[in-house]
Amino acid sequence: MGNKQTVFTPEQLEAYQDCTFFTRKEILRLFYRFQDLAPQLVPLDYNSNPDVKVPYEVISSMPELKDNPFRERIAQVFSQDGDGNMTLDDFLDMFSVMSEMAPRDLKAYYAFKIYDFNNDDYICPLDLEMTVNKLTRGELTPEEVGLVCEKVINEADVDNDGKLSLDDFQNMILHAPDFLSTFHIRI
Amino acid sequence: NPQPTPQNRQTQTFLETGWANQNPPPRLNFQPSPQNLKNRQEAWARLAGAPKILVPWRTTLTRIGGQYGAGTESYFTLLRFLLGLNILGALFQGALTLLPLLLLGPIPGPPSQGVHQPCGPYDPLPQGLVDYPTLLINLLSGEGHLEWSPLFYGFYPAQLSGGTFRLPVAYLLSTFVSGLLCLLLILHRSVSGLKQTLLSESGALTSYSHRIFSAWDFGLRGAGPVELRRRALRYELQVELEEASERKRAEARTRAQWAGLWATRILLNLLVLAMLGAAFYGIYWARAGLLLRPLLPLRTLLVAYLPSIFISAANLLLPPVFGLITGLEGYPRSRQLQLLLLRTVFLRLASLVVLLASLWNEITCGGKPEAEACATCGYNSAERPCWETRVGQEMYKLLLFDLLTALAIPLLVQFPRKLLGTVCCGRLGRLLGTMEFQVPEEVLGLVYGQTLVWIGAFYCPLLAGLNAIKFLIIFYLKRFSLFFFCSPASRTFRASAANFFFPLVLLLGLAISAVPVLYGIFVIPPSKLCGPFRGQVTIWAAVPHAIQGLPRTARDFLFFLGTLSFAVPLMLVSSVLMVYTLTLASSYGRQVSKLKGHIKMESKSKVLLAQRIVALSGEERDL
Repeated sequence: MGNKQTVFTPEQLEAYQDCTFFTRKEILRLFYRFQDLAPQLVPLDYNSNPDVKVPYEVISSMPELKDNPFRERIAQVFSQDGDGNMTLDDFLDMFSVMSEMAPRDLKAYYAFKIYDFNNDDYICPLDLEMTVNKLTRGELTPEEVGLVCEKVINEADVDNDGKLSLDDFQNMILHAPDFLSTFHIRI
Repeated sequence: NPQPTPQNRQTQTFLETGWANQNPPPRLNFQPSPQNLKNRQEAWARLAGAPKILVPWRTTLTRIGGQYGAGTESYFTLLRFLLGLNILGALFQGALTLLPLLLLGPIPGPPSQGVHQPCGPYDPLPQGLVDYPTLLINLLSGEGHLEWSPLFYGFYPAQLSGGTFRLPVAYLLSTFVSGLLCLLLILHRSVSGLKQTLLSESGALTSYSHRIFSAWDFGLRGAGPVELRRRALRYELQVELEEASERKRAEARTRAQWAGLWATRILLNLLVLAMLGAAFYGIYWARAGLLLRPLLPLRTLLVAYLPSIFISAANLLLPPVFGLITGLEGYPRSRQLQLLLLRTVFLRLASLVVLLASLWNEITCGGKPEAEACATCGYNSAERPCWETRVGQEMYKLLLFDLLTALAIPLLVQFPRKLLGTVCCGRLGRLLGTMEFQVPEEVLGLVYGQTLVWIGAFYCPLLAGLNAIKFLIIFYLKRFSLFFFCSPASRTFRASAANFFFPLVLLLGLAISAVPVLYGIFVIPPSKLCGPFRGQVTIWAAVPHAIQGLPRTARDFLFFLGTLSFAVPLMLVSSVLMVYTLTLASSYGRQVSKLKGHIKMESKSKVLLAQRIVALSGEERDL
């Protein structure tokens, strides 16, 4: 694990190690994964901080994300412009938050953003409906979906405003012991 | 939370969630990483994780859990746990009974004959040459050469050469200590399962939100597992919704409907009781009818195994019928499952009890020591000159037959079904060919097998070792049939129920098995012609006899432990401790609900304050 890599400057690697939960080896491994996704786009030399974005279609074809019903939202939440096209920073950030080292609060924060489809900082009943439909792929009838959304809001809405704020969500996640193990992508 | 700025986003989110001030959670894999190794807790977690590598079959179990669900995995974990228990018990008993016999004492020759025996001649060894069929039958039913062997109670002598090692006391001690060890280990397991259950399922209050937000495993890969998870999730949601609508329907029932429903329920319960009664009578008769001895070797075997056949038949045929019946009773789904499990548990454990009752009836002449056959020796010496070996033989036969059934089912039931499923087309073929691993029935089978061993271990010291081998065979057999014949479960079985319910049933089995063993130790007179307790009034009498030989202080202390002046203060102290723990628990519960109310109030006041701020800043702007 010597200093023989030429992809990043030492300062860049230090910065990445500070900002994500990964080690040097893992960061380099993730970089090569990123590079493999789009070899023509991604240069092998990041010393000059090139502004390279891998389009969303390529990201969503990764085996880790391919079958995930929320892959579109995940890519949108972690990309800079919210359109799903990710730079290397976004890529590392995404897998860092979804790794097993990230603490519960951080994961809950990002999970909230993922489930908030209309980006209004609240999970409203419409967002919930979309979540349920993505989870069951339309196999429940519309009134069943409505019932489920109603029950979720009844259970989790503490401040009684008819939608879930970040605090409601985090409070509810506190009682879910398997959240840490399910909100986890291994790469 | 403020929106993170684009260029230093990672650092921003990093700082705003306070991660910089917290300690990172312990890592799940074992790779060292320089930045995360700051914590001493990490090192401890790694050390504590190291012994887990020694536990066998870890990869197999994770694979089973991933493919077939947590419920199936819990069955195999229970099987592994029971295997460990049996190995431990076998080692203990072997070390305290068989080993001293082999090392120290004289290996007993055949029981003395020719001398006039007051309690009937006891002649288990066959005379002269034995032909192969008889040899096989003897092996399968524990008679002949096997009867007078270290396998059964009757072989062990009352004294070993040297006189220092008291075999009777060691025999008793090994039974009690292994029973106590089993109890402690099962309690430990059920307590940790209970803790998990209490923590995670803080009631039906959060079931929906948990299912939507934290049940989806983001790490699932491949279309197959994802589809399965989807189906399982949909099934769970549908079950919850169905239960909710059932509850609404139940509330809307009219009086006439209630009366009709209860009449149906009573009728069905009577039907269940009738079936149980018929099964038990069959078992009792099969055992009692053994006194007639036919001559043909195959019929001998059949008659010897008749009780086992009846018990296994009842255990195989009745539970599906119970399943149909509980479906008709109009209870919500979860209630139905619980009722079904209860009935099956009762069937399994009560059939053993009935068998033992029939044995007891024969050995003690129906509990009447004045009866003609039991008058001279206190037990039925004409039929059963060595009754302990007889009980051991029954348990041995049950064990063997259980293993045989476990071997036969994949061969005779699952394999043809799979074959038919591939040959026949259409819906019938699919119906026949799909088999799922029924976790509750299989677990009850395990509990039944273990209860057998607990009952029989006193009368057949090597039974625990045999059971360990049997469980090993069953592990590989079930794993094979799971991977080759069974499809992944379409319904999820709550692993939390498994963690709590199954150790409970195991404890029930242990309690039930303690009764015949203790009864035999304390009440029934031991056989005069065999076993380490021959010549004693009761089996337990060996212990006071041995205590007499101890030095004075030890003797007085041990006798003191048996008196009332020790038992009563002990009971008082334990009741006080229990009351204290209960009050502590209830006060914690009250504190928890108070804190929950606090959280609600805090968020409400936050919302109010935010509204005030908005209103005030609006006013300011207007000004």
